[in-house]
Amino acid sequence: MIPAIDIEGLSHVYGGAEGAVAALEDVSLSVAAGRFTVIVGPSGCGKTSLLMMLAGLRAQSRGAIRVLGGPMPAPDPLRVGVIFQEASLYPWLTALENVEFPLSLRGTPKPDCRKRAGAMLELVGLSGFGERYPHELSGGMKQRVSIARGLVQDPPVLLMDEPFAALDEQTRMTMGHELLRIWSTTSKTVVFITHSLTEAVYLADEVLVMSARPGRIIDRIEVPLPRPRSYDMMATDVFGRLRDRIWQQIRKSEA
Amino acid sequence: MKIIAARLALLALVLAAWEFLPRYGIVNPLLLPPLGDVLAMLGELLQRAQVREALGVSGAEVLLAFVVAVPLGAALGVLIAESDYLGEVFKPMLFIVFAIPKSIFLPMFILVFGTGFQQKVAYAAFTTTFVVLMSAAAAIESVKQDYLLVARSYGATRIQVLARVYVPSMMPLLLETLRISMIFNFTGVLIAEMYASRTGIGHMIASWGENFQMKQLFAGVVLLAVAAVVFNEMVRWLETRVSAWRT
Amino acid sequence: MTRSSPALVRRSILAALLVAWELVPRTGLLPELFLPSLSSTLSVLWNDWQTYGRALLVTLYEVAFAMVIACGGGILAGAVVGGFARLRNLLLPVVSSLYAVPIVILYPVFTAWFGVGSESKIAFAGIYAFFPVMLSTAAGIQTIDPQFLLAARSMGASLPQQIARVIIPASLPTVFAGLRLGGALAIIGVVVSEMLTAAAGIGYLVTLNRTILDSPRVFAAILMILLLSIAYYLLSRAIERRFVVWQSVGKPLQPAQSTV
Repeated sequence: MIPAIDIEGLSHVYGGAEGAVAALEDVSLSVAAGRFTVIVGPSGCGKTSLLMMLAGLRAQSRGAIRVLGGPMPAPDPLRVGVIFQEASLYPWLTALENVEFPLSLRGTPKPDCRKRAGAMLELVGLSGFGERYPHELSGGMKQRVSIARGLVQDPPVLLMDEPFAALDEQTRMTMGHELLRIWSTTSKTVVFITHSLTEAVYLADEVLVMSARPGRIIDRIEVPLPRPRSYDMMATDVFGRLRDRIWQQIRKSEA
Repeated sequence: MKIIAARLALLALVLAAWEFLPRYGIVNPLLLPPLGDVLAMLGELLQRAQVREALGVSGAEVLLAFVVAVPLGAALGVLIAESDYLGEVFKPMLFIVFAIPKSIFLPMFILVFGTGFQQKVAYAAFTTTFVVLMSAAAAIESVKQDYLLVARSYGATRIQVLARVYVPSMMPLLLETLRISMIFNFTGVLIAEMYASRTGIGHMIASWGENFQMKQLFAGVVLLAVAAVVFNEMVRWLETRVSAWRT
Repeated sequence: MTRSSPALVRRSILAALLVAWELVPRTGLLPELFLPSLSSTLSVLWNDWQTYGRALLVTLYEVAFAMVIACGGGILAGAVVGGFARLRNLLLPVVSSLYAVPIVILYPVFTAWFGVGSESKIAFAGIYAFFPVMLSTAAGIQTIDPQFLLAARSMGASLPQQIARVIIPASLPTVFAGLRLGGALAIIGVVVSEMLTAAAGIGYLVTLNRTILDSPRVFAAILMILLLSIAYYLLSRAIERRFVVWQSVGKPLQPAQSTV
């Protein structure tokens, strides 16, 4: 079975203020379809760059990227949905219109847009909130709308760049749990970036640990916890040891 | 560095156009005298007692109006900033005041003060006071509540809070207030001089214009423009010196 | 002590001013020459509405064209300069330095070039309002979240789609602010230039009647200008509120700053 995502020898260098900066160095990874993969790493390690390249938003300097067997020279919302740290909802559109937006870009007829968007809002638990404007929504709700928007075209692959970073810890935990619930109703492949080690272990099937710049994959950690995940798993030894292992790896790389 | 070079190049281009386009007749030199002629005329004008006197009068008006307007505007601004209630009452009115052409009040000033020195000072002070008021109020409101809380929690007296928190925190904005108020002040004086006055540089360039003495007119324009920009940049430089700590 | 609402206080102040306007000249506290009573001012407008109406039309015509220059040109220039970092870094500091120059010194130049008619007023007011609108638009463009375009691209939006469905809606608050500012400054610029040298327009009526010491007629013109500027301010605020309901927290909009 071809992996949903296959990256080989990915390197990226960009011109910074003081000369060339190597963001990524020889990154190779493979994600099987339907898996939830989390990438953690220190700030500036290039994880966002990696995501941008997977999304087709940025070109790499060297190496090959294949999503569902094909390259990603440009954004392809039918293959890959992207959810950013800032919900980036358009303030002049209602929640429903925001979710419809990708569909309307492709010229989907209005009634179909409505139906699909409505279904997505229901999926993320915001059924009654379609007519609200983003400024009337809380941070967590905005991210849910953003997730609904990312799901509305049913892409097999979902990329999420620290989507819960701007939320307080309690909301983060709830949202993480919600995300797992939504994901379990689909068979999508998810690549999720986070700073939070707890979040990483809680959500992932596999955690990829990246080193400080230039970013390299320095460890692959399987998370053997059963699904569906529950909060009390966080108190187990297994959980603690996994977290610790990630933390040690990151510390070593920063030394 | 490259940017400064680019800007200088831009300036040089504009100045060169001003010199060559009229001189080669591409632009009517009667309407736009070549830069060289204008600068020569400027040199000549600065030697005339009449011109020097006019500059002196205008300068005095600008200074006096400023000296009146700044404390007055600052005091009112403090009042509005310190009292939430007064702020709520007067701020919407101030927004409207700013939308009105204050020059319409010139006839009133002329009726009361005549067309002499006092009228121009009074009018300029009037227009400038509002600007100082708004900027001062904004400056005071910009002092973060956190800073004040910290000072007070360490037992600072009101005077200490004023001198050691408010003033350093507001200094860059205060300088900016002075800079912007001066722009408005200068404009106020010039308008009053152009409108109904027999003295001052504003009146002088207006009459040069009426008599189609274009070289003199442009010389006056260049002089005033340069003076305004020089003053502005000096205060801006001071601002950056004082606000090195600002994000 | 319960304080009255600020709105009530404001209205009371306004009412008190209007009453004072009527009574102070009537009771002889100030001579009618300095301050004609409100009623005599209003009766001039009532009786001579044709002259004042015609003057208003001239003024409005000049304001409209000045707005085309200031808002049309200013918003476009501001959007272009503000949108491209290279241009921005090059030009913006230059423009804001130029802002320090009192534009009024150019007025005699425009009068010499274009005469005493409407053209010089339009040119002057147009330039007068152009720079502030350009600066305001450039600043406003920069408050647009750059993530908006990234999100649109990730959803597969083409360039025309990005412009029409993201950039333009996101710029609307800035554009409206520019229109409000430009209109207010255009009115101010036109009125000042009409007061200085003109043969028509409301500003001209102020100067004309001042020289013949006909105070009620002077104040009638002043009142008209006051009403015009206030009406424009309220109208543009109302339109802005209606269309930009969703306006998120960005840089606070500055009140229209007039130098005259």
